[in-house]
Amino acid sequence: MDCDDTRVLMHGHLDGELDLAADLEVQRHIEQCPRCVAEYAALRAMRTRLNGEEFRFEAPAELRERIRGAIAVSPQTRSAAQPSGGYRAQRAAWMPRVIRFAVPMAIGAMLALIIAPRKMGPSLDQQIAGEVVASHVRSLMAGHLMDVASTDQHTVKPWFNGKLDFSPAVNDFAKDGFPLVGGRLDYIHGSAVAALVYQHGKHVINVFMWPSAGSATSAQRIETEHGYNVEQLTVGEMNCWVVSDLNQQELDKFAGLLRAKG
Amino acid sequence: MDAAYNLARWLVRDDHDAQDVVQEAYLRAFRFAQGFRGGDPRAWILAIVRNTAFTWLKRNRGTDAPTEFDEKVHGGSTEESGLEAEAVRKADGATIRAALDELADEFREVIVMRDIEGLSYKEIADAADLPIGTVMSRLARARGKLARSLKERIAKER
Repeated sequence: MDCDDTRVLMHGHLDGELDLAADLEVQRHIEQCPRCVAEYAALRAMRTRLNGEEFRFEAPAELRERIRGAIAVSPQTRSAAQPSGGYRAQRAAWMPRVIRFAVPMAIGAMLALIIAPRKMGPSLDQQIAGEVVASHVRSLMAGHLMDVASTDQHTVKPWFNGKLDFSPAVNDFAKDGFPLVGGRLDYIHGSAVAALVYQHGKHVINVFMWPSAGSATSAQRIETEHGYNVEQLTVGEMNCWVVSDLNQQELDKFAGLLRAKG
Repeated sequence: MDAAYNLARWLVRDDHDAQDVVQEAYLRAFRFAQGFRGGDPRAWILAIVRNTAFTWLKRNRGTDAPTEFDEKVHGGSTEESGLEAEAVRKADGATIRAALDELADEFREVIVMRDIEGLSYKEIADAADLPIGTVMSRLARARGKLARSLKERIAKER
């Protein structure tokens, strides 16, 4: 991938809109190209700057009132609210009531339609799943699987001391066929997280771990992202994301072992 | 309604005019509510706001709605802007606003939708009536122009 391609694709990368393969390629180019890295940093700063409330115009309160009023008197909406036929005098008497109730309700429904999907686009979980899979692939591709290579949980756990502001739960499951092989620091969703590496046969399992914010859910979700299986679970106070090319049953079994330690 | 107003305000660049546009768009949306065929309601209402805004601009200011343009002629997104991240962080809000205001409508609208409003590429494609495949290249151009304009403005202020 050259600079010309990257200059366009880096926008998709910045917006999280690329597929995994392209995303990795762009990332790799940016990392090793001093010109693209500077451009990307500037674009990212620009986007961060624009993303705040600073540049967002808020609708004035009177606009809402104005629109409500305008819809109530608009001939189209009035005729829509009118029944066919009927007595003029009678209609005149109850029409205002129709307008008073039906119209605000209709507006309410419209507003709900517009306000509710504000969170549209990939959900936080989907974003994290994407990042976790990208990190997993990167760890295998870049030959940077481990910062600390040890099958001893008492070596791996203390290694994180001072590198993270929490202490990850490190357990070895060698006797169940999932030996711990090491750990490393990684970044998910803008923070440093612990990545624990396990092996099962020839398959590598990455477990990304960080303190869970908010309510502890033990809900286990299984997703397949680009052919990788992703599971999310809460172990004790840790939010864990498990990624591997391992089949789902075996990954389930591994998740069960992790959870049992929680 | 905030998203609708924000987009209208950035497109027509005037508070009162933006209010008129949003009101008109909502009346239209209300009238044509049956025309809503599923999909993303936010993109749908924004598409109506956008069309209303461009009709309004044409009527009142004689500017044409952005038409299909030749992506090759409007190239230039692959040149680097030379803008520094640090300069962006320190830049005055008014400087950024002025640079954004000066962009052509078709570039300003995608930046407003993506960076300020947080729409996905799919939603932008629906709202701005663009093929999904051109959203990224349009954004690349828009941000490239904005970055160059910002760099010039910051250099002048020094």
